[in-house]
Order: sequence, then structure tokens, then C-alpha cells
Amino acid sequence: MSARTNILWAVVAVAFIVFLLSPIVLLVVFSFTSRTLTNFPIEGLTFRWWQEMVVTRQFWPSFANSLIIGSCVAVVSAAVGTLAAMGLAGMPKRRASIIMGALTLPVMLPPLVLGVSLLSFYVSLGLKLGLATVIPSHLLFAQPFVILIVHARMINFDHRVVESARDLGATPLQAFLTVTLPIIRPVVIGAALIAAALSIDDFIITFFTIGTGNTLPTLVWGMIRTGLTPSVNAIGTLILLLTIGSTVIALKLTRYRG
Amino acid sequence: MTLQTPPETRSKQDSPAALLKLRGISKRYGDFAAVEPLDLDIFPRDFVAVLGPSGCGKTTLLRIIGGFVSPTTGTVEIDGRDVTKIGPEKRPTNTVFQGYGLFPHMTVRQNVGYGLRLQKKTRAEIDDRVAEALRQSRLTEFADRSVAALSGGQQQRVALARALILRPKVLLLDEPLAALDLKLRHTMQDELRRLHQEFGGTFVFVTHDQGEALSLANRIAVMNAGRIEQEGNAESIYAAPATRFVATFIGDANLLQGERHGGQVKLEAGPAFADAGPDGAITAVVRPKAVKLLAAGEGADVQIAGMVEDVVYLGDHIKCSVKIMGEQQIIVHLDAAIAPRPVVGEQVNLGWPLLQQRVVVA
Repeated sequence: MSARTNILWAVVAVAFIVFLLSPIVLLVVFSFTSRTLTNFPIEGLTFRWWQEMVVTRQFWPSFANSLIIGSCVAVVSAAVGTLAAMGLAGMPKRRASIIMGALTLPVMLPPLVLGVSLLSFYVSLGLKLGLATVIPSHLLFAQPFVILIVHARMINFDHRVVESARDLGATPLQAFLTVTLPIIRPVVIGAALIAAALSIDDFIITFFTIGTGNTLPTLVWGMIRTGLTPSVNAIGTLILLLTIGSTVIALKLTRYRG
Repeated sequence: MTLQTPPETRSKQDSPAALLKLRGISKRYGDFAAVEPLDLDIFPRDFVAVLGPSGCGKTTLLRIIGGFVSPTTGTVEIDGRDVTKIGPEKRPTNTVFQGYGLFPHMTVRQNVGYGLRLQKKTRAEIDDRVAEALRQSRLTEFADRSVAALSGGQQQRVALARALILRPKVLLLDEPLAALDLKLRHTMQDELRRLHQEFGGTFVFVTHDQGEALSLANRIAVMNAGRIEQEGNAESIYAAPATRFVATFIGDANLLQGERHGGQVKLEAGPAFADAGPDGAITAVVRPKAVKLLAAGEGADVQIAGMVEDVVYLGDHIKCSVKIMGEQQIIVHLDAAIAPRPVVGEQVNLGWPLLQQRVVVA
């Protein structure tokens, strides 16, 4: 390949990356613009929109809802997902992969379909929509990721350490708490953070199942219906920080899987 | 070397009560019988090798004793107590697993102290006993290292120390030396012997290496296809193999097929001799070292003529292959100083005394 085509490919690659990343960069940049419109030119930088964000009615309840839902999803999916993954890892491969397929089905369904079906499900049960319906709904699509990630770790898990623990006097529970859990803890925490990120980030399923409340994504959606102010960008940036932050930590922790 | 059956070191009368009693133990996985119903007695202070090829069920047997596999039939009794239904954590056994199963998230010290911590011993007692165990295993300088940073031999010592610190009535070892290189294996053999003597406990280990079994154990149980084919001390197993399998698995052996009829054995290769026993197919087993090259006019209980096919000098002895009737070969180990050495193509007469031959059924 000649030097010229090399350069050409480099230019194409850079253009692609710029195209992919620019919306995110612009979102962040416009949250600091001193003008009232989210477009160029940017005349100066200010924290005004961030200040406006925190005084927006509904911001704090939405923020709190997002954190409550996100952390509940993280904790529950970590606990249930770890147990499920351990169970699956002990099964014959064929059976495990069939069950795994069934468990990961919600991830493959279009979120819109999932949202509508959840809504009609809750309504038919006569449940009052709110956090109590959002959390299980989020678990439905976040849980499979935890199972997949922890299962991948459990497949390579050296079960002799558990046998050693039992041999040295540990009950099955003690062996789990003193040996299995400490060894897989980074992966479990990482998987929980990914579940939290998916939950905090979700709009469609939340929209259908939350009823009258708001999370940050549904708040943004409500705000842009009346007009796109840089405050929306500030909230967007906040969501970005929460999800990217937890994902970065998660990747760091799960890296030494295997 | 005597090939007469040496007296068993233990007779029923003077033996102490067996520490570990397996009665009718078997294990089936579906249609596959990993262990056929068997009995085994292991006595206090024994160093027992369960020897057999891979897949013979020896590890399953060890795991049944340790409580990791529940037997399909039979009972495990340790020190007079039936432990068949009891989990590994409540048995007076500890195991050194193949690959050791060390806890990667703990230091050497924490690994060794794990069992005592579970027993809720006082901090001071744990510290003392761990320090003592580390000293005995020459691990003191590695005490606060992660186990992942240790060499294979050091990991092995950690696994041993971690198990022995709990003073098990029976220490189980699953292929303890298989993962080590040859030189380290010899060092660890000495170490195991020393530990067995110092600790004064009862060790049971499984191995596929007959050399390991002979050099470490005072009792050997030879397993094949889920059965214990023979159990006894090293000498009796080498000298008086009970089956064809035992004869070939332990040491080199020449096998000669034959037929027994009315107390008279006729080998396919020619010779006939008297040997009491049931009628039917038999195999005569003779060790290469027991076979002599007969000088002209010299006689022997069993004699076979043949032609020298190969002569190899091996330092301490000469290995000579002799072709006899029916395309069969007999291997002879000759004194390295023998003169004149047999030459390839030479016609020779082989012979050995009946006492150094063992006749087994089939």
C-alpha cells in the first residue's frame, strides 16, 4: 500500500471518529455556552445553565429517582445474577446455554415492545406505576448482563479452591463468603456498575413504567418538548458522567477476569 | 532378589484396629462404574499409595474418602466413626489437591491459617501454630507473599502445611508430585517422607507412577478399571503380583501364556512344570533380572531356547532381548560385567528357577 493511500485511510478514519464523538463533545460544550441557544458561535463560557439545572423544578426528585433505581438495580442484579451465574456454571454446557438464551431474551427484544408489554402487564395486575414497577422492569434487561459477565468468570473459576475450603472446615456458605466471593468480587462489582449504567441511561422502558414520576432521561425528554435550552445539555452531561463513570470503573474491575 | 512371597508385614491378630475402613464402596456415574464395590483397610501411621493408570478410579476413591464424592454403595469409617454421610468439613481428613487449590487472594500465612481461623481459635494460638507450620515447611521467608508468586514446589509445601496444620487423622494427597519437574519431584519425595515421619500421621496418596509408589509408600493398593487388584507392601506386590495387570504395571515383566491342567502347566513357548491351581489359561510372570543365560550343560527349572535379537548396555546392567518360539520376546537383564557378552544372532538357552516365577490366572 502506497504512502498516499495510507494517508487517505488515516483521514477517513479520523473523520469517522470525529463524526462519532462530536455529538457527545458538543453536548458537553454547549452546556457551558453563554448564549441561550445550543448552536454556534459560542461567545463565552458560563456555569449559568448548570445553576439553572439544579433549580429546575423536578430536577432533584428526578436525580434522586435515577440514583435510587440505579442502585437498586445494581444491588439486586448483582446478588441474583451472581447466584444465577454460579448455578449455570455448574450445569452441563448445553443446558446452561439454553437457559442463558432464555434469560437474555429481554435484551434482544426491542425496548419499545418490552415497554408496552410491561405497561399492559402492570396495568392488568392492577399495580400502581412508580419506582416499584420501574425497578423490576430495569432488572429485566440489566440482569442478563450481570449473569453473562459473572458467568464468564465462573466458567474459568478454579473450583478446587472451594473444595480446599470445604476440606479445611468451611461450610458451603463459609466457603462462598471467604473464598468464592472475595475472588470474584471485582467482577461482581463491575457487573453491578454496568447494570447501574444501563438503568440510569434508560429512557424507553422507564417512560412506559414510571407513571407520573421522572428520572433524568424522562426529565430531559419533558424539557425538550418545551424548548432546547443549554440546561438540557447540562443534564445530558450529568447522565453521561454517571454512566461513563460507572462503566469505566466497571471495565477496570472486570478486566482481570480469567 | 527373592521372588518368594515375602511374609506380609501384618497379620490379622497383631494388627492394630484399622484407622480407615472402606466397606463395599462403589461409585457409578450412570452406566459407568468408576469404582467397583471394594473393601480397603488403612492402619494408623500407614503411608498408602493407591496406584493405577489414569481413569482407573483412584482419584474418585480418594474423593470418596475426603467426602467430595458420595459413594453409590458402601460405608467409609474413620477411627470407628461412620462418616459416609458427613461433608468434607466435618471429616478428620485433609486433602492436598492436584494443582493444590491454594487461595489466590490470600498470602501464604493466611492460606496456612485458614483452617484454624474457621475453628475460631484465638489469635495467639493461630499465630503460633502458623509460625511453627511455616518453619517446619521452610516457608517462613515467604510468609507474607501472595501464593501466586511462589514456585510449584513452594506452592506444594503451602498446600501441605495448610492441610497438616489441622492435624488430620488421614492426609489425602491427589497426585502430589505430578505437576513438578523431575528434580523437584525427588526433593519433594524426601520431604513427604520426612513429613510423614515427623508428623506421625496416616497418609494416603494416589499416583500413576509406580516408582513414586514404591519409594514413598509402605502399603500399595494397585487399582485397575475400578477394582483394587492387589493390596500389600511394596515387596509382596513386586515379587508376587496377584494378577497379570499388577505384574505389568509394577516393574518390567516377561509374560508367558500357558494352560494349566491337573496341576501341570504347559507354556505355549514349550516348557512345562508342576503348579497347583485351577485348570485353565494362565500367565507365567518372570522378572527380567531372574532370567539367566544358561551355560552349556547347565540346567534350570524352566528352560527356553531362543536367539539373541538385541543387546543394549545400560550402565548398571545389560538388557538383552531374546526371541523365542512364536515371535515372542523375553527380556533378560544381565550383569554389566558379564563376559563374554551375548552377541546378536547367537543361539542361547534361557532358564529360571520356579521360585522366581509367578503363575497368575489368565
